[in-house]
Amino acid sequence: MGHRARIVEVLHRAETGPIMEEEDFERNLVSPTVKKLIKKYDIKFDDSIIVSSDDDLADRVFQAGLDLAVEAGMYCQSTSRRIVWTREEFVEALRFCPSEVVMGAGVDAVTAKARVPEDDTRVVVAGGAYGVPVPEHMYIPMSLSYLKEPSIDVIDNPSLESVYGHPVKAASPWEVLAARREAELALQAANIAGRPGMCLGCVELSATALGGLAGVSWGGYRPTDWLHAPIMSELKTNYDMLSIVTHSVRTGTILEAYYNPIYGGYVGGAEGVAVAIVGGLILLNQVHPGHTYNTRPNHPFFNCDTTPELIWAISLGVQALTRNTNLLVDTLVGPAGGPGTKTMLYENAAFVASTTVSGQSLMTSCHSASGGSIPRHASGLDSKICAEVTHAVSGMTRAEVNEIVKQIIPLYVDDLDKKPIGKPFEEVYDIDNVEPIPEWQGMYDEVRDELIGLGLPMDRIRIPS
Amino acid sequence: MADVEKLQGELSELLLVEDPDAGLAWAEETLKGDIGVTDFFNLVFTPAMAAVGDKFGRMEIFLPELMDAADRAKRISEEVLQPMMAASDSDQELIRGKIVMASVKGDLHDIGKNMVVLMLRVNGFEVFDMGVDVAPRDILDKAKEVEADIVGLSSLMTTSMPYMKECVELRNGFGLKGNFSVIVGGAPITAEYTAEIGADSFGKNAVEAVERCLALLDRPAIE
Repeated sequence: MGHRARIVEVLHRAETGPIMEEEDFERNLVSPTVKKLIKKYDIKFDDSIIVSSDDDLADRVFQAGLDLAVEAGMYCQSTSRRIVWTREEFVEALRFCPSEVVMGAGVDAVTAKARVPEDDTRVVVAGGAYGVPVPEHMYIPMSLSYLKEPSIDVIDNPSLESVYGHPVKAASPWEVLAARREAELALQAANIAGRPGMCLGCVELSATALGGLAGVSWGGYRPTDWLHAPIMSELKTNYDMLSIVTHSVRTGTILEAYYNPIYGGYVGGAEGVAVAIVGGLILLNQVHPGHTYNTRPNHPFFNCDTTPELIWAISLGVQALTRNTNLLVDTLVGPAGGPGTKTMLYENAAFVASTTVSGQSLMTSCHSASGGSIPRHASGLDSKICAEVTHAVSGMTRAEVNEIVKQIIPLYVDDLDKKPIGKPFEEVYDIDNVEPIPEWQGMYDEVRDELIGLGLPMDRIRIPS
Repeated sequence: MADVEKLQGELSELLLVEDPDAGLAWAEETLKGDIGVTDFFNLVFTPAMAAVGDKFGRMEIFLPELMDAADRAKRISEEVLQPMMAASDSDQELIRGKIVMASVKGDLHDIGKNMVVLMLRVNGFEVFDMGVDVAPRDILDKAKEVEADIVGLSSLMTTSMPYMKECVELRNGFGLKGNFSVIVGGAPITAEYTAEIGADSFGKNAVEAVERCLALLDRPAIE
């Protein structure tokens, strides 16, 4: 069955799969299955290693994730049913997943390609204030702070804090209005930057299908832009998200499906997160058949994905997938730190170096400041550091990056519980000229020099074609 | 007098072992000794549950273990403590307060909310969990129905936050401000936003939510 033609079967199985209470699914199916598989495949977090080079471990994590997908399936909240598939169906769907996608149009188009660990194939760099709430008057300057960075290939947009002065209310006409306004502003910003064909993330944090679909209706975002359709933690979809997926399939719009397991939640600790990433992305390919597949696990108290345990889990999950499939894997860095802090720059560097060398095809940055939750706390330099590190580690070995990351982590780890959210955009950038203020630029330069000293070759970046 | 600290430690360990009945049998046996049921509840049971919650706060245990511990503690309360207290005519309250919890309309995220629910339960609150994507009017009706002391509202999305404001407005509009407090939480929620919408408190995570709920009821934290 063709990759995206599967959507009809997905919708059918969402209405015919085994019935189960949502709480039972998570607590009595997902949670014990993950625990059992960690034991079966002997998956253990070793805190002396952040970026594992153990291929056998990565392959065991892949098998565990595949088992999880087969045994649990995905839960549909709208029908109280599990959407289940056989192992053979998963394997077949992985064999025919897209291993390449062109994002954007004209001279601004870029191609994301399947990679493997330690690959020197170009990683597509997505940058932007991903879902960070921003007031309307600041939307364009903030977007331009990312668009003007040549190292950023694709934009993931901020969200509007309000629309025409009114709060944006989920599942209401306000969500529709905000999505339309966001598309207007995002396209305008890309035009001002002279990058009109650039691929733009569409209404990433659309709470229901209303926003997602309104944003890509006529006159809004284009089929060459990047629709987003998440599943809920853990492994749960619903008719709103499936509606976005179905629309993307039928309109030929590029789709990013994503899943963010919760550290310490139903899947447990680092080992469980690694297995859940694999199982979740295999399920996304099956149920939310798109082009790129993203993960952004979260620490429930620090609201970030940059703890040592999470970097280990994410890099291992990425390796498991990229060694065994052609999925276009993407990760999103969500630092605890925000603009104007060295903490965020270190966090971003450690995360991106680890995930890039593990084989991701796209690097998305970032959910600045407490995982993207603080209004106006985002700036272009937040993503620039990620872009530079991504290209700097191209072709390096996991062992080399592991040694560097082990030196970076102590520079920020003690700050993670202090909510180091930094400063809002207007205090770290000159909004009129869209330039970082000297203090923020100086801090950035200092950290870059430090990272070069630690062995990241950011002074001789070459961008592969 | 029994060594209550030792007993606290034993119970908090037993709530986390594989055998789901271990704590129950241990409680029955311990209460045959020289500790009364009221002292057991106040000095052993409640602090032992709080210690389990603290372990979760430090991520030494994870959500499934916390859920199991909460279930086991509930069984001890229902099957051992409540019958003994009823028999002894004790006027000891077994719950520290009633809380209605919900993720507000438009928000389908539930794990953060579930963590708060469990932390409240292991700290002695009776929690009515309404789930996710709950409309303000339904939350208000539930709070009236169960005579809640506190309504806890969770939102991870800025687009759901207006429904928190609506809940507070409905409570005040129906003249129920004196009946229950409203506490809000979730990644985008700040003290400023809490004050702006007229909510009574906010907690930035599950641990702080418990502290703030105790403060709203003017109850001391469990040592």
